[in-house]
Amino acid sequence: MEIIMSVLAGILFMTGVYNLLQKQLLRIVIGTALISHGAHLTILTMGKLKDGAPPILTEGVENYTDPLPQALILTSIVISFGVTSLLLVLAYRASKINHTDNMEQLRGNDYE
Amino acid sequence: MILAVLLPFIFAIFIPFLSKWKDKFHTGIAVTLIPLAIFIYFARFLGADFAPVTKSYPWIPSLDMNMVFHLDGLSLLFVMLITGIGTLVAFYSIYYLHKSEKLGHFYVYFLIFMGSMLGVVLSDNIYVLYSFWEFTSLSSFLLIGYWNHKHASRYGALKSMLITVFGGLSLLGALVFMHIITGTTSIQQMITSNEAILNHESFPLILSLLLLGAFTKSAQFPFHIWLPDAMEAPTPVSAYLHSATMVKAGIFLVARFSPMLSASDWYFIVVSSFGIVTLCWGSYMAVRQTDLKGILAFSTISQLGMIMAMIGFGTKAAIFAAVFHILNHATFKGSLFMIAGIVDHETGTRDIRKLGGLMNYLPMTATLAMFGVFSMAGFPLPFLNGFYSKEMFFKSSLELTATDGIATFLTTAIPYLAVFGSIFTFVYSMYFFFGTFRGASNINQLPKKPHEAPVGMLVSPTILVLLVVGIGLFPFLVNEPFITHAASAVYGSEAMKEIYFWHGFNLPFIMSLTVIAFGTILALTIPRWTVVYQYIPGVLSMNKVYDFMVDKSVVFSSKVNKSYMTGSLALYMKLILVTIVGVSFTLFFMTGGFALDLSNLAPVTTIEIIVALTMAIAAFGTIFTNNRIAAILILGVVGYGLAMLFIIYRAPDLALTQLIVETVTVALFLLVFYHLPNLKHRGETKADSLVNWLVAVGFGLLITTVAISSHSSKWFDVISSYFVDNSYKLGGGDNIVNVILVDMRGLDTLFEIAVLGLAAMAIYSLIKIKNKKEEK
Amino acid sequence: MSNLAVLPIALPFLAGIIVAFFHKKLVAARIFALLATIIHLAVTTVILLQVNQNGSYVLELGNWKAPYGIVLVADPLSALLVMTTAIIGVAAVIYAPRSLSKIQEEYYFYSFFFLLISGVSGAFLTGDLFNLFVFFEVLLMASYGLIVLGNGKAQLRESLKYILINLFSSMLFVTTIAFLYSVVGTVNMAQAAERVGDVEQQGILTTIAILLFFVFATKAAVFPLYYWLPNSYTVPNAVVSALFGALLTKVGVYSILRTFTLIFNHEVPLTHTLFIYLAIFTMVFGVIGALSTNNVKLIIAYNIIPAVGFMLMGIGLFNETAIAGSIYYLVHDMIIKAVLFLLIGAIIHAAGTSDLNKMGGLIHHFPVLGWMFFLSTLVLAGIPPFSGFVGKLLLLQGGLEQEEILVVLVALISSLGILFSMMRIFIKGFWGEAGIMDLPERKSSMSLMIWPIGLLLTLSVVLGVGAEWFYPGIESIAEYVMNPEIYVESVLKE
Repeated sequence: MEIIMSVLAGILFMTGVYNLLQKQLLRIVIGTALISHGAHLTILTMGKLKDGAPPILTEGVENYTDPLPQALILTSIVISFGVTSLLLVLAYRASKINHTDNMEQLRGNDYE
Repeated sequence: MILAVLLPFIFAIFIPFLSKWKDKFHTGIAVTLIPLAIFIYFARFLGADFAPVTKSYPWIPSLDMNMVFHLDGLSLLFVMLITGIGTLVAFYSIYYLHKSEKLGHFYVYFLIFMGSMLGVVLSDNIYVLYSFWEFTSLSSFLLIGYWNHKHASRYGALKSMLITVFGGLSLLGALVFMHIITGTTSIQQMITSNEAILNHESFPLILSLLLLGAFTKSAQFPFHIWLPDAMEAPTPVSAYLHSATMVKAGIFLVARFSPMLSASDWYFIVVSSFGIVTLCWGSYMAVRQTDLKGILAFSTISQLGMIMAMIGFGTKAAIFAAVFHILNHATFKGSLFMIAGIVDHETGTRDIRKLGGLMNYLPMTATLAMFGVFSMAGFPLPFLNGFYSKEMFFKSSLELTATDGIATFLTTAIPYLAVFGSIFTFVYSMYFFFGTFRGASNINQLPKKPHEAPVGMLVSPTILVLLVVGIGLFPFLVNEPFITHAASAVYGSEAMKEIYFWHGFNLPFIMSLTVIAFGTILALTIPRWTVVYQYIPGVLSMNKVYDFMVDKSVVFSSKVNKSYMTGSLALYMKLILVTIVGVSFTLFFMTGGFALDLSNLAPVTTIEIIVALTMAIAAFGTIFTNNRIAAILILGVVGYGLAMLFIIYRAPDLALTQLIVETVTVALFLLVFYHLPNLKHRGETKADSLVNWLVAVGFGLLITTVAISSHSSKWFDVISSYFVDNSYKLGGGDNIVNVILVDMRGLDTLFEIAVLGLAAMAIYSLIKIKNKKEEK
Repeated sequence: MSNLAVLPIALPFLAGIIVAFFHKKLVAARIFALLATIIHLAVTTVILLQVNQNGSYVLELGNWKAPYGIVLVADPLSALLVMTTAIIGVAAVIYAPRSLSKIQEEYYFYSFFFLLISGVSGAFLTGDLFNLFVFFEVLLMASYGLIVLGNGKAQLRESLKYILINLFSSMLFVTTIAFLYSVVGTVNMAQAAERVGDVEQQGILTTIAILLFFVFATKAAVFPLYYWLPNSYTVPNAVVSALFGALLTKVGVYSILRTFTLIFNHEVPLTHTLFIYLAIFTMVFGVIGALSTNNVKLIIAYNIIPAVGFMLMGIGLFNETAIAGSIYYLVHDMIIKAVLFLLIGAIIHAAGTSDLNKMGGLIHHFPVLGWMFFLSTLVLAGIPPFSGFVGKLLLLQGGLEQEEILVVLVALISSLGILFSMMRIFIKGFWGEAGIMDLPERKSSMSLMIWPIGLLLTLSVVLGVGAEWFYPGIESIAEYVMNPEIYVESVLKE
């Protein structure tokens, strides 16, 4: 299963990157979201999948899944959420002010 | 001794205050005292029984950078020149620079320059030497750019700085190299362990770097081009920099390292051939100049070439002649520059085509000029010091011996080239004198009505001319006290020579006569043959190369830069990704990073496959849909899919969080993009699309392979068992993930919240500041 | 005493929160910010002195022993960098009111500023890779806040690119941490170092190392990952640019230095040779960039890149001399980049334009500014005896010890390029005929801009001329860095 999950993570990264290379802001932001999903999935996979019970101490259970990756993912999810929200608002403002949602028109090498 | 070197720097600090009263008291008067004081201080070392002195003051001992001053014959000669000519120049400048000029600036640069020169010639520590060396470049940059409202000044200043700093950096390379090889930063100690350097495999590189430093500073062909443009500086500066100091620093450097390097054949070949070519080129080009200072500039180049060549010869006689000529050149060239300044000052022009017949108006100046010019030309008269060293130059050029290849060729060619160069030296000397002071006078065309210069202005050139004559008549007066010591320091052992006027009717004398004969003919017929300058150098001059390089470096940079700094995010990302993928995969395969371990994997179940497939399809869906709402919702599917996986893989907290976050994110997406245009077709060309896919697939592959390999290389136990064991015991919680988050890794969580807070503030200011603006 | 180690993070963190409550009361906020930065500087100085005397402070947060909890490690290297950060903080706070508009100041400038400092200090101090990621996010988020501050058209445009590229590299960062966790089973740097040292076949580790390098290299603006930098450092206010130029890329460099001396030091011929070549390209392309434009601020921004090349060169050479050179250069560059960005802010303020072709003769009206710029040019270009020279000299020595002649020659040539690019500003901007300007108004606000710059510049000069006071310390740091066992032992206490 880990192999399949690795492939899935690869697909998420791939589609994310492809979206990131597009012109329209919405696609780009979607790309970043896909990439963070991929990253979180990778962390999860790098612990051992299904190797034990959920990491909540229960009488009689000896074997739990690795709790540390879960903690890391949780932190990372929240951070990504923060960044994504900012990015969304910024994308909105930038495209309003510059009158375009096309990144290729936001090159701006005029050095003003 | 350290005080003597630092005195100019210390005094420079007070100049800005002093210059406030410049209306009442010309700043130059005070400044003149500084070199004079140092001159007097060092003069007491003069004498036949001089012995080198070394003084050491700690500065940065841990880097082996200490103020070690080594006063030997060579340094003493230069110190006398720097301070002696310095005094005269400072005195001269009092009359040359009007009180309305920015005197404060001028004298600060002047003093820094002088101090740096002293530092260069006295330092025994290579890094200290280098420090002073760069400071001479920078202070001369400021001096040349003194009248920076003129474009030519700025151009000349930049040019001299770029070329000399380039040389300086090259010198630094050589110095560091020698330090690493010999393990010492003292030049004197390096000289004793020169074998290590001479036999090092990189010796050719070291030699080239070192000489590049010296040649650029000493304006050797083809690096001479900065010197003529440096004539934009006020004339006292030119007199100082180009007769006795700045340009001689390169000579000094080669002379200083000569005992260490002269054993190498390449040293002889490179130094003497550059020198002799410079001699010829400089004197040849001098005749073409129309600016008095331009003639002197090329003359300086040519004379420096001659000295350089002699040092390259490396024989006892040649070294002696070189050292002697350093002194002689300083005297006559210094006076000639000042004379050019006087002519400029009194007539308002330095254009030799407008000048002529000034003998009647500036008789005193003309007389002085006559001595200087004939000494420079090497006219065989017993009261001209230039003749002595010129004659020695011829003599030493005839005494060269070599055994193989290029060196043999050089030894044959050098005497002829020496005569050739000297002929033109004679020609431009005559051209300079007769063009300015004799011939028809056309006073009316001059910007100012000429009259003799004030006495004060004449004092300095007069003293120099007296030296010219004095040295000529009584050479032994300078020989024993310091020429011999200087030559010995360069030669490495006792290099005493007697200086005679008359050696008999020998080959060198015949060479001198040849020079005079051909020189006179050519000088009389100048207008008839100047046509050759159209062919050599013609349009191909080193200046053009420099201009091309400087201009093009800017144009070229901006072209190169624009080719990839386009501002296009997609391009940036592609370049970044290609690098990451390319380099990582290369290393991955080079190091045999791939690993696959199929044991100990979780079993594959249908439900997981279904979820994974859905996510994959949804992920692709975001690419292919052209409806924004659909795209956002499909993205949501991926997010919820991930939450499903979290549930399956025993991560309840994650699943909860993911669900909430995903929901809010989707809502935000909808909120924001509702106001933005709908998705269009991706609108990329086939080629674009292919590249994008390649990059994306490459990156996806990288992640997958590295993930599989990492997972298959679980070499260690994870640290998590500790968390399981201690979550309740020490953390007091059943939910291990929560305990980790709030306790064991509480700092992460605290700052994760900080990130959220920051995001909130940023968003708030994004929205708020907009409103403020729109209200206006 | 080891509790001190948390203060450089906690103080600005708290200050940032507190100041948010009266963000519109500017006078109070300014005084508060100044006091807070000064206290911060005092604390970091004490830490540096203490650490140099008593050895590293290792703080296990919440008393969770390493490697299970998060550790903060105030070793000589991080203590030095934290203190340098604090110095720049003080200068920035003094300068800020003259440079920012009222609105910019009101909208949480000081909060962003303090959290940036907190994040940077955290990144220097932490001994935990994932925690490093978190601090990266803190400082990035603060920088996002700062870069958009003011909402200019170009600002928003460039911030978008800046955030997107950084977001991507952050995600790559966590992914790489996951890979590393899978292989060595820990996120604690000391333990990772120990474990990496224990395996015989490096295998996948080298690839993970290089991925991590790329993550840091993106932040550090190493060739060919620096594209985001020049424009995004040019658009915000001068004081923000100064903070970015002085701190952000340096965190990247520091992270490379730390991880590749501590953890990944087993495939040196491979990884570190790669660094040398990247360093060469970084210098060359940085200089090309610096020569390519007439926008003065952009020239300075491009000049960040070759400096990064210099530091990377030292890491690549990987001997004690070169590492000492990199560390010296790191400290020097933090200060001088702050100086330059602040100066350029003042210059643009004085000239009323950032276009070099429209400037001229400034020195006649602003002599102090002009000479400060001239001096800082010398410092930047590594003219002795100023601070740039010491670092450069060590790097050259280290390079020749290693017989890496090419990189040494490139370093020398790029020094010339740097000098040329800066002198263009001096010659075109300060020399020449003075333009007509409405001077009195511009002159009046100049002095408060000048003197924080003067402070930093003096420090920079002292760092060079008085190298004897600093170099032995730096040398011992380099020695310490090259012997990672000391770090590992101090954290794991085995």
